[in-house]
Amino acid sequence: MSAQTPDRGGLLRLLAKAFAILVLVLWSLGPIYWALATSLTRPDELVSRTPHFFPPNVTFQHYARLFGGSSVSQGNTVQSVWPEFSAALLNSLVTSVGATILTVAIAAFGAYAFVRLRFPGRNILFILVVATMAIPAYTVMIPLYRLMIQLGLIDTYVGITLIYTSAFLPLALWLMRTVYQAMPIALEEAAWLDGAGRIYTLVRIVLPLAAPGLIAAALLTFLNAWGQFIVPLVFSPTLATKPLTVLIPEFVTRNYVDYGLMNAAGILAIIPPIVLVIFLNRYLVSGLMAGAQK
Amino acid sequence: MATEQSTAGRLGFGNGEAALGLAFVVPIVVIMGGLVFMPLVTTIVDSLYRVDPMRAGEPFVGLKNYTDLAADSNVQTAWANTLAYVAMAVILETVGGLAAALLLNSVRHGRQWLLAAVVLPWCLPPVVNAIVWMWIYNPSYGLLNHALMSLGVIDTPQVWFNDRGTGLFLITLVHVWRMMPLTAIILLAALQSIPKELYEAAKLDGAGAVKSFQMVTLPLISGGLAIALSQSTVFAFNLFDEAWIMGGSGLGTRSVIIQVYMSAFQNLRFSYGMALSLLAMIASLVVSLIYVLRVYRETRMD
Amino acid sequence: MKRRNFLSLMAAANAAFIVPSLTRAFAASGDTLTVLLPPWGTIPKQMTDRFAKETGITLNIQTMGWDDIRTKIVTSMVAQTAPAQATEVDWSWVGQFGAAGWYAPLDEISADTVADIPTAEIFKYDGKLLALPYNNDFRILIYNKAHLEKAGIKAAPKSPEELMDQAKAIKSAGVVDYPIGLPMSATEGTATAWYLLTMAFGGDLFDADFKPLFTDKDSGGYKALQFEAEALKAGLIDPAATGLKDVEIQELFKSGSVTFDVAGWAGNLAVYSDKDKSKVSGDVDAALMPSTSGKSRTFGLPEAIGVPTSADNHEAAVTFIEWMAKPENEIEIYNTLGDLPPRLSVLEQLNEEGKLFAGDKLLAQAKTVEPLFKQGTPGWYPEFSSAVASAINQVAKEQISVDEAVAQMADRAEAAKNR
Repeated sequence: MSAQTPDRGGLLRLLAKAFAILVLVLWSLGPIYWALATSLTRPDELVSRTPHFFPPNVTFQHYARLFGGSSVSQGNTVQSVWPEFSAALLNSLVTSVGATILTVAIAAFGAYAFVRLRFPGRNILFILVVATMAIPAYTVMIPLYRLMIQLGLIDTYVGITLIYTSAFLPLALWLMRTVYQAMPIALEEAAWLDGAGRIYTLVRIVLPLAAPGLIAAALLTFLNAWGQFIVPLVFSPTLATKPLTVLIPEFVTRNYVDYGLMNAAGILAIIPPIVLVIFLNRYLVSGLMAGAQK
Repeated sequence: MATEQSTAGRLGFGNGEAALGLAFVVPIVVIMGGLVFMPLVTTIVDSLYRVDPMRAGEPFVGLKNYTDLAADSNVQTAWANTLAYVAMAVILETVGGLAAALLLNSVRHGRQWLLAAVVLPWCLPPVVNAIVWMWIYNPSYGLLNHALMSLGVIDTPQVWFNDRGTGLFLITLVHVWRMMPLTAIILLAALQSIPKELYEAAKLDGAGAVKSFQMVTLPLISGGLAIALSQSTVFAFNLFDEAWIMGGSGLGTRSVIIQVYMSAFQNLRFSYGMALSLLAMIASLVVSLIYVLRVYRETRMD
Repeated sequence: MKRRNFLSLMAAANAAFIVPSLTRAFAASGDTLTVLLPPWGTIPKQMTDRFAKETGITLNIQTMGWDDIRTKIVTSMVAQTAPAQATEVDWSWVGQFGAAGWYAPLDEISADTVADIPTAEIFKYDGKLLALPYNNDFRILIYNKAHLEKAGIKAAPKSPEELMDQAKAIKSAGVVDYPIGLPMSATEGTATAWYLLTMAFGGDLFDADFKPLFTDKDSGGYKALQFEAEALKAGLIDPAATGLKDVEIQELFKSGSVTFDVAGWAGNLAVYSDKDKSKVSGDVDAALMPSTSGKSRTFGLPEAIGVPTSADNHEAAVTFIEWMAKPENEIEIYNTLGDLPPRLSVLEQLNEEGKLFAGDKLLAQAKTVEPLFKQGTPGWYPEFSSAVASAINQVAKEQISVDEAVAQMADRAEAAKNR
């Protein structure tokens, strides 16, 4: 009734709600917009006394200094920084994608075992693994560092990928378990009656049905790995494996007053997550929700 | 692969089930055992020794690392900072997250897009967030000073990080910007699981919006709330990225994990760092356990 | 459907721009040398190009801010991986790195070269040269003489008190808001500036047994810290200095918003007087470090390049180190980056040709250069220095008093030393 002819109170509530939504959107997206605007503003306009909410003269010079054949440092023309940046971008992609594939693969089979297969030690193992979600990776970093030295895995893709996997596997397992638990067992039983093997059933019937869950697990793992800082700060000393998250702060400390450049570098690093959120937001949210259920 | 598949397939439900289950979890056992549990045990053991790569020998020192930690004024400051981070982050994330969740739950059209906007900060690398916000906080050209001056709140540009409390708060704010979406989504999931009929019933009983929130919403989202609170606590206890980028090794904003990093990787005192990281882990576990127990107990009484 | 098409397009675009850069990297990898240096070691492109042409080795210079470099080197050396094929080696790291055996002796460097570089002595450990200097940094007072004139001041300050008085006069004359440029963030540059001021007040950091000498109220170190605190309180130092590093203070000087670069880097005069890089090129001048005793003192902070033992391509690294030490290259580095040439012969030549800015003052100050630690830099220096920077930062933010700060610094020194 009230929806058709909103009285004054309803209108007020509607306005309040619209305002709240505006505040929420501004809070969430404002800083990102500001970084983008800064990265497109000319240096002299950045240090002016009045802020420009809109770049008065859009410039790509900060990006040119990242992508160009040469760059500027200390007022001198210096070697291009793009080889460094592209190497770090590649490292970020390789370690994040590597960790994602490994984590999701292990979680897809492991969680299935936890849900559908009975084997000794099943419950205690699951509890132990999931309990590590409450233990941050930093706690074990120092012994891990010594272990990786012994294994010769410092500054290698294998080492970094394994550490990421150990950090993000519990969440993926938890998520995939809720996915399998929600799946009716009847389908699998039908397949078994038809003589299909367990693995065949899992791979050909269960996994395709679990695809949304797999995508969600992959997304969560990828985003977590992409944003990692302290692990590569210690385990990736050189450009052999150093990701963008470590290179960009280094870039900031050496270009101390170059705010446009810093923001341009930051924008580059957030493009992949933004693209993922825009296109796969549905899976991400459902994954986060499932991950939080009891 | 092919042979394994056919043998496992023939085994069906019998003994093969256990074998297959174990085969599926072997990678988990190897990775989690080798990279989490073994190092965890090492941390506990080595914290009783003096492990320092720059010095020969690893003598047993008993609790010396722990007594040294207790006497170290830098460590005490780091603990105080971390507790401030945790208190502010947990409150802001929970209050803000709950408000955002209630708002999201009441939006019908375009919720998908609003959700996308809200989760976005959670998806971005924390170091990039810190760099972006540092520019906003810049004392000379930052947006924050400009905005507050044009609103008439302040007359002159402020050097925000010169005040320890303000510095801690501003770093917390960046952390909250990233972590609040997680709380919001956890609570949104809890809100969505509340049956509509309960609100109808409350309305029939003459309960207003506040009353029905107290009587229906709060008890039914308490499980989600406990999870959200524990998440916030664990992450705030382990604050590193934002504080390191914005405050560096400065003592006024140094968190416990920064202290661990500096002890271990700048001053190369491994076992000292291990002892501290162990204490940080125990503290965060204890605090989150308290939430879980309290929230559960309170909901059971209702 | 549309979505999927877009995503695959994105993936293709990604691959398109990564693959070319990859192939480029592999093509050059045969004779590439990676070098890890601070911002003032980032030599211009014309020099890196010339190096490639002369030696056939492609340089890949990786730059890192000062306060990141040591940690990066230390963590990778402990892990037995090389941070780069040639890296920065600071005067203050020699004791620690030498004892750990992390750097390969540079026996290939000719004796003539070493003899022409007096500061090379500092980089010897157990009689072996571990790194060859490329920057002969020592500190000198750099000031903006136009600011002084506007405030009616005739000569540069001779003592810290005069420095304070002149700064007050400049501020009250409305020439600049914050005349004194001193870093106060928790970074190394903050600590070194305080060491310099300690000397200006006639003090030393430690006695022969490494007992702290800065806790007494009459000590140079105490007075130096009090000087910084007072200058800040009197509004002579920008309150934002609590977040600024030395290099950022230098930017302020170049922009003309600071009168005194108190802990000025000797070589930076070349950059300050370059009108392409500095707005105060015509107004910059140098003076001997002020002192309470009338005898100016300063200390040397030379920087060098060394080769990690864990690095491959040792030969190429040595080629690079020798190339950097060529007289013509030292001159070009001085002109573009402001690193003071380590070769005595080059300094003399530049001065004779009148190309050494404020050369007479530089050379006069150079005669007063002493090491910060007469008995050699102890291995615990980095830990002490980081504690000093933290304490000064806290004083500047008025979180602790000067007394508490010096006590804290002394405690840290004792703790680090006795471990």
